[in-house]
Amino acid sequence: MNEIKYIGERLWAGHLGNAFVVLSFVTALLSFFCFYLSFKNKDFIRLARLSFNLHGFSVLGIAGTLFFMLFNHFFEYQYVWQHSNTSMDMKYILSCFWEGQEGSFLLWTFWNIVLGWILKKQLKDGEWEAPVMTIFALVQVFLASMLLGVYILDYKLGSNPFLLLKEHAEFSNLPFVLAAKYESTARGLNPLLMNYWMTIHPPTLFLGFSSTLVPFAFAIAALWNKQYNKWQTVALPWTYFGILILGIGILMGGAWAYEALSFGGFWAWDPVENSSLVPWLVLVAAGHTMLINKNKGGSLFTTHLLAVGSFLLVLYSTFMTRSGVLGNASVHAFTDLGMTGQLVMYVLTFVFISVALLIHNPLFKMSYVVGSLLMLAFGMIYGYKRNILMVWVSASAIITGISYFKYFPKEKDEEELFSREFWMFLGSLVLLLASLIITYFTSIPVLNKLFNTEYAPPKVPVYNTWITPFAILLMLLIGGGLFLKFKKTNAKQFLKRIAYPFIAALIFGSACTVPLYFINNNKINWDTISYALLFVFALFSIFANGDYCINILKGNIRKSGAAIAHIGFSLVLLGALISTSKKTTISKNTATRKVSDLGEGFDDKVSILLTKGDTLPMGPYLVTYTGKVQKGIDVHFKVDYLKINKDNKPEYDFTLEPVIQKNQRMGNAPAPDTRHFFNRDIYTHVTATDLNIDTVTNKKAYSDAKNYVGHVGDTIFASNALVIIDSLRTNIGKEEYQKNDSLLEVTAVLRAVDAQSNSYKAYPKYIIKKNIVIPKDDELEKLGLKFVFWKINPDDGTIEITLSERLSNTKDFIVLEAYIFPYINLLWLGCIVMAIGTGIAIVERMRKLRVQSAKGE
Amino acid sequence: MKKLHILGILVIALAIGVIFVSLKNTSTYADFTEAIANPDKEFHVVGKLDKKQPLVYDPKVNADEFLFTLIDNKGISKQVVLHKSKPQDFEKSEQIVLIGKMHGAEFHANDILMKCPSKYNEGAAQVSQK
Repeated sequence: MNEIKYIGERLWAGHLGNAFVVLSFVTALLSFFCFYLSFKNKDFIRLARLSFNLHGFSVLGIAGTLFFMLFNHFFEYQYVWQHSNTSMDMKYILSCFWEGQEGSFLLWTFWNIVLGWILKKQLKDGEWEAPVMTIFALVQVFLASMLLGVYILDYKLGSNPFLLLKEHAEFSNLPFVLAAKYESTARGLNPLLMNYWMTIHPPTLFLGFSSTLVPFAFAIAALWNKQYNKWQTVALPWTYFGILILGIGILMGGAWAYEALSFGGFWAWDPVENSSLVPWLVLVAAGHTMLINKNKGGSLFTTHLLAVGSFLLVLYSTFMTRSGVLGNASVHAFTDLGMTGQLVMYVLTFVFISVALLIHNPLFKMSYVVGSLLMLAFGMIYGYKRNILMVWVSASAIITGISYFKYFPKEKDEEELFSREFWMFLGSLVLLLASLIITYFTSIPVLNKLFNTEYAPPKVPVYNTWITPFAILLMLLIGGGLFLKFKKTNAKQFLKRIAYPFIAALIFGSACTVPLYFINNNKINWDTISYALLFVFALFSIFANGDYCINILKGNIRKSGAAIAHIGFSLVLLGALISTSKKTTISKNTATRKVSDLGEGFDDKVSILLTKGDTLPMGPYLVTYTGKVQKGIDVHFKVDYLKINKDNKPEYDFTLEPVIQKNQRMGNAPAPDTRHFFNRDIYTHVTATDLNIDTVTNKKAYSDAKNYVGHVGDTIFASNALVIIDSLRTNIGKEEYQKNDSLLEVTAVLRAVDAQSNSYKAYPKYIIKKNIVIPKDDELEKLGLKFVFWKINPDDGTIEITLSERLSNTKDFIVLEAYIFPYINLLWLGCIVMAIGTGIAIVERMRKLRVQSAKGE
Repeated sequence: MKKLHILGILVIALAIGVIFVSLKNTSTYADFTEAIANPDKEFHVVGKLDKKQPLVYDPKVNADEFLFTLIDNKGISKQVVLHKSKPQDFEKSEQIVLIGKMHGAEFHANDILMKCPSKYNEGAAQVSQK
């Protein structure tokens, strides 16, 4: 075999990149050990800082090299080849960078470095520097290992972005790789991701993920040096920064899904969405119990549990979305890179560290550590990994419980029912419970693997039903919370104070919810009652916090961060509630078959057929499909919306252009088009069409042949007729044919019946001469149908016939789904308000921190 | 007993309640045999498209009805009525998950998930059409 010669490869780039990868791993490890040692011995701190800086620069080096390779089209490298090509717009180069798993890990590492540097500077020479940075460095060790791509025994550690295409296990044998034709074959960025969302959503989300590391690092450091209540002041602005950024990141994802992907809404309770929502909810809970710690003391265990939990849930979500465990359950999970084992170990290690640090008794701690390691070794050598994992998780949970009772400082006196800390604690608990339920539902594919069960993931309405009661409780607590003081509040005064906003919400809410949920064919059931309650309580929360801003804070912006953020959050819930529960389908299907008898989930008749040129009523509009235009790989379907004007005549209103993208990688991908009004959105997407219909060009052309297999008596469905295989005729018997070596002719008699019940007959022939098949086709000129009888399967007696139809037979059509989302703008408004409120709160916290430290010095 | 302890107990009770209630109503992955045995229960049936049988989708008659035949993982094939429009690239699907139940001789599905092969066999398949 000839050795292939590769000429002009820029191998230096890969070497450089790999040097940075190795350096970043080694320096992270070194920095971890030095920070760890400097906890006891301050001599190590300078080496620790130096190695952390080196680590940071090597991460920048990795990113820079990869970016350089992408920018200069080094297609001999797998990552560049797979995620970019020369034909795409260079403004998407950043998206290429983080489209793949390796790039997105790199993005995460990058943000950790940025936050780590700021934090390191903030904590310099303080008591928190060593322990907090130890945790930071340890996380970096794990993240850096994700890019190593080396094999240790049989285990693959990480996935390297600097692999040459010819070295890649999956691609190395492909013909164009062997022929070194890289540039022309480069895969490029998935066209579905070519939009500005892909440029802004991942970095925001990953910055959010990174910022959960800060409270985590502090909480672990506190468990380590047993200073449980001293870190909250420093960590608070960081925590709220995480809440802000992660929240924006999640909502950006929702907005992207709503605008450009056809999930049929802004939130589909998809596992990938859930697994970024849950850490956010837990982080919000942590942020609030930290306020309790700081203002009143108490709830310390809960804070540590939540702060640690938020980061662990980020890790868990990384595992869920990147290990392939979700399989059928998610639309947009990453593909498996064979790192499942590593990701599981990553999650378990940090659970292990958290639990081990909870234990004070050295002997107890030692036995937990040794026991865990023994279990790990046993699992590696003998298997039974699943059972060991379950035993270990249960043991760790029990130990956490024991440690809480034995070692954790607890408040002596009981909380007052009417105190801000108790309501905040309740609110955090509600958030935690909601998170647990979402996590449980989302984890069903994981639980199936653990317990060998076959449960299917729940559908969207199940989530909505379960989460609504928690949202109601939350609105009540948020509405009242700020009117309460820490420690003790006069109950009578408090109730009197919140009575006004509550009565206003009750009156206004009832006026809205009664027609919305209880009149006009609406059934009174659990869902409608809980929706109505959520409506009223969300209004209460908005009114109460507004009241608090105006009448108690007297419009002092600096202090009103919390109230504004609460108003924003309530608006988000209100917008989500109205737009989801009152989402109406206007694309009504007129077919007569009743499917609602089949039970729940079967009453949806959502599609309307629009034939080109016809005008049909749809909701308050008349709609006309006027044709399609192809722009690049996007096919735009133009649908005109007309309104009936005062003179009772249809008048043009607007045009929507839903798209089907002919995506080479994922097949045809529909994208919606939405018309925004201040109080509602009209959201449409095309679900079915025939992209081959081209009404302009050659009308006599025929479509591609479709093959049918069947017996005599079977029916073939043509677009304009039913075709029945009537009978088969042969000119001579089989024996005669074999004897004489002559012509065998089998004729299929086909009877076509059109919509007007006219009957036509076609006679395609199957002719064999000397074992050579010569089919003779037949055409029904009137119907525009052409048949070729080309195969007989003697084994099962079936015959195969292909059918082509004249293209002009089928008129261009689309099947459209159209929805109205009422008041969805409340949701987006709420997002902005919440972001502003949180921002104000962060600025205020930082100001207080500065004042405090100025006083301290 | 402190309020917090009472709360803790309530939380645990609620969590256990959620698990039991939700599992009782959750549909499971199954094959046609099981779906036939429990005609009123919803199942997720996993299988492949039977390419030898006709696909019938005529939006002129009903844009929300699509007929095809699915072979489940045990090799049993059944006529399927999907009460939705025909998904994009349906013919190319490698694996299909149907959500629905048996009714008479047909399996009636109200939702479908498909796995389509992607170009160059990139890793695992992508899931489309939620």
